Amino acid sequence: MLELRRITKSYPGVVALDGVDFTVYENEIVGLVGENGAGKSTLMKILIGLIQPDEGSYTLRRKLVALRDPASATRLGVGMVFQDGSLVPNLSIMENLFLCHELSFRKFGFLSKRAMQEAAYSILALVKVETDLDTPIADTTPEVRQMVEIARLLWLARLYNQRNPILILDEPTTVLTENERQTLFSILSEIKSQASIVLISHRLQEIVENSDRIVILKDGKNVTELEADRASIPDVEQMMVGRRFAADRYHEDEQVEPGDKTALRVQNLSKRGVFEPIDFSVRRGEIVSLVGLVGSGKEAVCRCITGLEKPDSGSIALGGKKLAWGSPSETVRSGIGHIPIDRRSEGLALGMTVAENVNLLVLDRFKVAGLISPSREKRNAMHWIEECRIKSPSSWTMCANLSGGNQQKTVIAKWLSSQIEFLVLDHPTRGVDVGARDEIYRLIRKLTHDGIAMIIMCDTLEEDIGLCSRMLIMKDGRLVREISCPRFKKPSPSEIIGSIV
Amino acid sequence: MPNNVTSTSPARASGWLSISVAKGQQWLRRSGIGGQLFSLVIVMGIFAIGTKGKYLSWPNLQVILSLTAIPAIIAIGLHQVVVLGGIDLSVEGIVALCVVFVGFLAHNKFNSNDVGLWIVPITAGIGGLAGVINGLLNTKLKIPSFISTLGMSWVLWGLAVFVSKGQTTPLLDNPLSGFVNGYVLGIPDLALVAIVLFMAIQLIQDRTRFGRYLYAIGGDEVLASQAGVKVDRTKIIVFGIAGVFYGLSALFLAVRLDSAQAITGNNLLFPAVTAVAVGGVALTGGIGGAKNAALGALVITALNEGLILLNVNPYAQEAVNGVVLVTAVALTIDRKKLGFIK
Repeated sequence: MLELRRITKSYPGVVALDGVDFTVYENEIVGLVGENGAGKSTLMKILIGLIQPDEGSYTLRRKLVALRDPASATRLGVGMVFQDGSLVPNLSIMENLFLCHELSFRKFGFLSKRAMQEAAYSILALVKVETDLDTPIADTTPEVRQMVEIARLLWLARLYNQRNPILILDEPTTVLTENERQTLFSILSEIKSQASIVLISHRLQEIVENSDRIVILKDGKNVTELEADRASIPDVEQMMVGRRFAADRYHEDEQVEPGDKTALRVQNLSKRGVFEPIDFSVRRGEIVSLVGLVGSGKEAVCRCITGLEKPDSGSIALGGKKLAWGSPSETVRSGIGHIPIDRRSEGLALGMTVAENVNLLVLDRFKVAGLISPSREKRNAMHWIEECRIKSPSSWTMCANLSGGNQQKTVIAKWLSSQIEFLVLDHPTRGVDVGARDEIYRLIRKLTHDGIAMIIMCDTLEEDIGLCSRMLIMKDGRLVREISCPRFKKPSPSEIIGSIV
Repeated sequence: MPNNVTSTSPARASGWLSISVAKGQQWLRRSGIGGQLFSLVIVMGIFAIGTKGKYLSWPNLQVILSLTAIPAIIAIGLHQVVVLGGIDLSVEGIVALCVVFVGFLAHNKFNSNDVGLWIVPITAGIGGLAGVINGLLNTKLKIPSFISTLGMSWVLWGLAVFVSKGQTTPLLDNPLSGFVNGYVLGIPDLALVAIVLFMAIQLIQDRTRFGRYLYAIGGDEVLASQAGVKVDRTKIIVFGIAGVFYGLSALFLAVRLDSAQAITGNNLLFPAVTAVAVGGVALTGGIGGAKNAALGALVITALNEGLILLNVNPYAQEAVNGVVLVTAVALTIDRKKLGFIK
C-alpha cells in the first residue's frame, strides 16, 4: 500500500531520521511507538508531506510520489488527525467537515446547504456520530471532534477517488475517557475494512491490544517490527528505551515511611452538590492518592485545596495554619504547589524560557539592592535544570520548544526551587513517554525525601497504587474507603476496583 | 434540520415580539441577533414614551433610517475585518482622502474637472486601494492591523489635508445629489443602498466559500491555513471591501453636504466600531455577520436620535455612547475564549 524506504532527514545538529523504513498494508492498524525524540513525528510529517525527506523513497499504491504539501497528500488519500485537533472552533460540524472543499457543493454559484447536509449525515454515519450538524465545534466533546476529523479524512479520500485511505492518528486517546476510548477502537476496527490506520500512542497497552503490527523507532532508526499478538508490553518498552526497567517501576524502594507530623489537614470540607463533608490529613513525606471515577468529586477536592475553587464549608490547614478559601495566590504563598493536568495552558508560561519558568516563584530571593540579579537567577536555574535532568539546549530555550516530559520536569523544578511543603499532582505523567515518566517518578520520590507531602491523581490505577503510601477512594462525592499501600506490600488493583465503581 | 427547540433566554426575551412561534425562536437563537433586536425594541419603546409618541412618527423614523445609512455602510465594511480577528481604524483617513478626491474630480467651483457618474467607481476604487494597502501591510509585512490601520489613517488624513490645502471645495450640481437626498416609497435612498450592501455581504458570508474562509480564519488562523484556507488573500480582500465601502460613504457624505473637505471623515470611526460591537460581532473574531453590523448601526442611531429629540446635552450624549460601547463589549465578549486581556 504505502512504502517508505531508507528515509533520512536531518536538521542542523541532529539527524531526526536515519534510513528508516516504514510500510503500511491495506486494511490494517499499525502501531508506531518510540520515545519522544525517536523520530515519530518527523516520520509522520514526511508521510503527510508537511516536510520533505533528504533521502529515501516514498511509494504509494506502487507509484513513486513526491509530496510537496499536505494538500497533495490529501489528494492521494493520506491524512492525519493531529493531537491538538485541527478543527476550527467557531465553525459548525458540517462547516468543518467540508472546509476548503466546499466547491463540490456549489450550485448556481452558491453553496447548497442541503447537499452538504446529506453528505455530512452519510459520512458521519460511518463513525457513528449522530448530532446536530450546526453545532459549533467549540460546543462538542473531544470524542465528537475526533470522529469528525476521522470522517473528514474518509470523505476527502472519497472525493479524490482514493480507495483504502491512510489515516494517521496521533495520540488519539489522551483526551478521551475509558468508555470513549473503547468506542474509538471499535469504530477504528470497523473502518479498517476500508482504510489503513497508523496509530501513535504513549499508552503501550492500547497499541498492543488494538494494532495488527507494531513498529518501534529509537533515535531516528528502525529498531524492530513485530506482530501485535506476539508482543508484550515490557518487551516493547525495552526495545523503545533500550534498557529494561526494573521490576520496581515506581521506585518503591525509595518510598518514604511518612513521619508523624501532619502536613495538611482537611476538616469537614464540603461543596454542595459536588462532594459531601470530608476529613483527611496528609503527613510529611507521604503520598496520598485520590482515586475515583469522573464525578466522584476528587477533582473538586483538589481544586479546593489549591484554591482554584471555593468550598462551602470546612477548613484546610497546612502545618497547623489555616488557609484562605478560594485564593490561588494565597495558597501558593503558604506553601502549596500544584501540578495541573494541562501543563501547556496552566502549568507553564510557554512563551517564557526554562530559566524564567523555574525562577518564576522565587524571584524575591535573587534581589540585590531591590533589583533582580541575573547571575543569581542563572545559578538557580542551572542548578534545578541539572537536578531535574531537564533536557533543554540551554536555560534560555523557550518552554514551548521542549517535549512534554521536559515541560513537566520544568513544572516540577519550579515548585522544587520554591520551598513548598505540599504538592497537588494532577495526572503528572499524562502524555509523557516511558523514559521521562521514569524520571518523573524519581523526582516525586526525591520530593518526599525532602519531607514534601503530596496528593496525587494518576492516569492508571497501577500508577496510583505504585506511587502512594495511602489511597483514599471517593465515590459519588463521599470518601468510601481508605487503603494503605506500604512499600513492597501493595494491594492489587482487583482488590480496589470494587470500591471505586 | 434537526430540531431541539427548547428555548433559551434571548429567544424567550423577545417572545413578546410577536415572534412566539417555535421556529422563529429557533431562528432568533441561531441567528445571534435576538439580543440586538430586543435592545432596539427597548430603546425605541423608552423614547416613544419619553417623547409621547413623537419618536415613532413616520418623519422621525425616516430621519433615523437616513442617519443610519452611512454608519451602517461603514460598519458593514469594518465588521468583516473584526470577524477575521483584526480591527480597521483607517476609516477616517480613507474617507478624508476620498472626499478630497471627490472635490477635485467632480464638477466643482475651483477647477473645470467633471467626471460625472464616473465619480462612483473612482471613489470606490481609491477606498478599495487604500484598503488593499491595509491588507498588504497586515499580511505581507505582518504588522498587527491595530497599528497598520491606525498608521494608514493618519497618513491618508495628512495626505488629504496636504492635497486639498485644507480648504473646502463646494460642489456644483452633482448628478448624484437627487439620489442621495431622495426617497423611494418613503424610504431614504441611502438606507436602501445600505440594505442592498448588507444583503449582498450577508449572502456572501452564508453561502460562499469566501464566507466560510472568513469565519475559519476568525476562529483559528493557524488551523485554517493548515486546512488549506488562503489566509492572506482572504484578509486582503476583506480589507479591500472595507475600503470600497468607506469610499462610497465618503462620496455620499460629500454629495449630501454639497461640499468636499477633509474633516468630513472626522468622527466616523467611533460610531462604526460601536455599531459593530453593539451588533454582537465578537472582537475576538469568528462570530457575527453583516446583519449584526447593520443592526448595531440602527440601534446606536436610534439611541442618538432619541437623545437629540429629548434635548439631552450633546456632551452627555457622547458620554452615553461611550457607556454603550463598553457595555456592549462587556455583554457580548466570551471571556472563556480569552486567556488574558491585553
